[in-house]
Amino acid sequence: MDTNEVISITKPEALVNDIDSDVEMSDIEDIETPKDNSNTFKSSIVTPGELVTDDPIWMKGHGTYFLEDKTFSSVAGNISRVNRLLSVIPLKGRYQPETGDHIVGRITEVANKRWKVDIGTKQDAVLMLGSVNLPGGVLRRKSESDELQMRNFLKEGDLLNAEVQTIFNNGIASLHTRSLKYGKLRNGIFLKVPSSLVIKSKNHSYDLPGNVSVVLGVNGYIWLYKTVAKSNSAANTSITSNTSKFQASVDSSGSYAPGQGSISITRLEEESSWEIYSDKNDPNISNSVRTNITRYNNVLKALSYCELGITEQRIIMGYEASLAYSNIGSLIDKEAMESICQDIINNEKMRGA
Amino acid sequence: MSKNIEVSTNEKTYFLEALKSGIRLDSRAFDEIRQPEITLSKKEYGYVELDWGTTKLAVRVSAEIRKPYEDRPFEGLFMINCEISSMSWPHFDNQKNSNDEVLIARIIEKAIRRSNSLDLESLCIIAGEKVWCITVDLNFLNYDGNFIDAGCFGVMLALHHFKKPDISIVNGGEDIIVHDVNERQPVPLSVLHVPVCLTYSFYNPGNKESNLKGEDDDEIYLLDANLLEEQNREGSIVITLNKNRELIQLSKNGGIPINANVLLELSFKSMKIVDRLTEKIKEVIKKHEAERYEELNLRLLEVGADR
Amino acid sequence: MELYSPEGLRLDGRRWNEIRNFECRINTHPNSSDGSSYIEQGNTKVICMVQGPMEPTLRSQANANKATIEVNLAVANFSTLERKKRSKSEKRMVEMKTTLERTFEQSVMCNLYPRTVIQIDLHVLSQDGGLLAGLTNAITLALIDAGVAMYDYVAAITAGLHDQSPLLDLNGLEELDMSTLTIGVIGKSEKLSLLMLEDKIPLDRLESVLAIAIAGSHKIRDLMDNEVRRHGNIRSSKLVNN
Repeated sequence: MDTNEVISITKPEALVNDIDSDVEMSDIEDIETPKDNSNTFKSSIVTPGELVTDDPIWMKGHGTYFLEDKTFSSVAGNISRVNRLLSVIPLKGRYQPETGDHIVGRITEVANKRWKVDIGTKQDAVLMLGSVNLPGGVLRRKSESDELQMRNFLKEGDLLNAEVQTIFNNGIASLHTRSLKYGKLRNGIFLKVPSSLVIKSKNHSYDLPGNVSVVLGVNGYIWLYKTVAKSNSAANTSITSNTSKFQASVDSSGSYAPGQGSISITRLEEESSWEIYSDKNDPNISNSVRTNITRYNNVLKALSYCELGITEQRIIMGYEASLAYSNIGSLIDKEAMESICQDIINNEKMRGA
Repeated sequence: MSKNIEVSTNEKTYFLEALKSGIRLDSRAFDEIRQPEITLSKKEYGYVELDWGTTKLAVRVSAEIRKPYEDRPFEGLFMINCEISSMSWPHFDNQKNSNDEVLIARIIEKAIRRSNSLDLESLCIIAGEKVWCITVDLNFLNYDGNFIDAGCFGVMLALHHFKKPDISIVNGGEDIIVHDVNERQPVPLSVLHVPVCLTYSFYNPGNKESNLKGEDDDEIYLLDANLLEEQNREGSIVITLNKNRELIQLSKNGGIPINANVLLELSFKSMKIVDRLTEKIKEVIKKHEAERYEELNLRLLEVGADR
Repeated sequence: MELYSPEGLRLDGRRWNEIRNFECRINTHPNSSDGSSYIEQGNTKVICMVQGPMEPTLRSQANANKATIEVNLAVANFSTLERKKRSKSEKRMVEMKTTLERTFEQSVMCNLYPRTVIQIDLHVLSQDGGLLAGLTNAITLALIDAGVAMYDYVAAITAGLHDQSPLLDLNGLEELDMSTLTIGVIGKSEKLSLLMLEDKIPLDRLESVLAIAIAGSHKIRDLMDNEVRRHGNIRSSKLVNN
């Protein structure tokens, strides 16, 4: 069939430069506009259906499909070549779990000897009864009575942090909480950001200025809470002899992050009491801590709004920048969010220079 | 249709392999429809039973006098009710209409009602006051694929077969008298054109990539699929045409993509079958009229009859 | 009312082969969905949001071999000149919804996401002809934004026949008075994944209408591709900074 000429009044070039037009959706990108124009728009990204290569030597990886020798992209993203493996990494997408990832999740279902956990993946992850620490020591067998009272440990809606133990053949992730730094989350608030924004690093739980800690799940689920070091909750229970030691170690180091440093097996056992599954928040959270948590929450929202990658340093820089605003509620105004992110970027440039 | 669980993998492979070697399991050619067998009611006007292979359906046309819609005072009313129950196939639900059922009803309605196949203005009795309301009830009795083609054919047949009672307007347009069919000869409906639906089912012998990116179009097209063929198909298109070479409807609700050239080719090829089916309706009705004429000895009533 | 003047101008001043202003954005709702898009095709405006692939809420939606695609279509009461309440169970709505589901079942690589559901929520804000085409384009963009693997773009457009001359991308008024052909084309090919014609056109004119519609949909694909690339470059330039 002959191809007819089609007239169109939408000029794609104009569209690119015309970002400051009043189309509300473009505002998100506004901050970065000047840089992009200088970047010359010759892109390295590919879009679905685009021919990536017709060279048969490439092995076809994720994000591609092929017909005979031709390889096509199936997502919009950047091409990655690892040795002979050609894949396209999507710009955005659901979180892909990898073994060892520190994640935050929410229980969606209590099933036979396992919990189903929503961690933002395509399919809910599972947390086997055998992969958690239960009261009465780590190394004991899980009995039938444990199975019956699974809801007393974790029930639907509970938030926890955990590590990805393994990925099954069918793509479902299996989690474990066999460390003190994992387990039920308390004393704070939950926040969700796109997982692509969380930059993977060695450690994903940080103590931040202002007596606030954060668990920055690789899956984009974030938990902001009162730093445990000041918590008295551990003191008012059965842990007596060890508590003092525990407190001491905290005070000497100045900042205690749960799970960091070595924990003797005996302590682990004692910690694995019912306490770790308690549904009670610390009763003494001061107003200033609460304010700070909210402030961090809004800083993270700003980072995600401007699509900046989230790191410990950026959170702290954002917090410092946000101190200019006395009213925390105003932090989620568009101007405020943009100016905070601009501050962060400027700050980084200064340090980098 | 929606639940493919009933076809085992081996059954499916066998079927597809047969197609690839050019064989349909019921030995029809790829572009051959099943021969419709028609039973017209001798006693009533507007009741038709149709056997389309083993797909069976009954169509009943009825007429009543109603008030027209206010925005269209000169037009009669015309409705098509599709009744698909679990009688025809256990997978159809009696309570809830599945997406497939809605699609079937909608396509038949678009083919016949939207295309103005029935002259609505001729159904007007007194403008803005009284019009004929023609209702077609389409009951599917047994399902062996292709409800759309059979349904459309059945409805058109019934509309030709139906006759509405004669009326006379008295008291200067105040009242109307509906004459009993035994009293006065009833009047046939004015059918403007005969739409014919033809459903083509597609099968992709290769993989998806070759279907989407490949150069050659090696997809297989089957006309008038039966149940097994319908359960295994990867896409379908309904082409509605009439014998004036007018394209009334094209409906491809997803499924594997087809090349534009193939679409054109299929549409042109369909004309032959459309002509044949239209001819068939005319022929059957004509024959039926003649028989009725004989039976009722209507010749005696004619003006020039020798009494 | 003159739909097509002898000088070759249509009601809104367009030529026969001219598409309406086409604007699109992706990632419009980054916090409430995995992928989102907003399109304007003339005065037809649609928001689309994609959730997933995710764990199905109903067990029956889980298919061990492929993802289930679920389309929800909401047409705003104020989307037409006359305010009108629309029910979701209306036959026309169900038909459109089913058509879209079946179209995208084929162009999304569903086999990569077994036991999951991809939920597509469409919100029609304003209708002015070419609704099905607009919905299709919005879904394509939102799915790409969500990072769902697809074989290619599905770009859709309408075309009609006025007298002897085919017209591209009909607006609401033209659609009322003309038979409208809606097509959805896979990428830059001539393969039709979606096809809908609801009124009479002479069979021998089909080819010319199809030809201009296919050319038009290629143009739409390019416009959508530009937006995806524009957005993608901004995004990847930000991530590199880290």
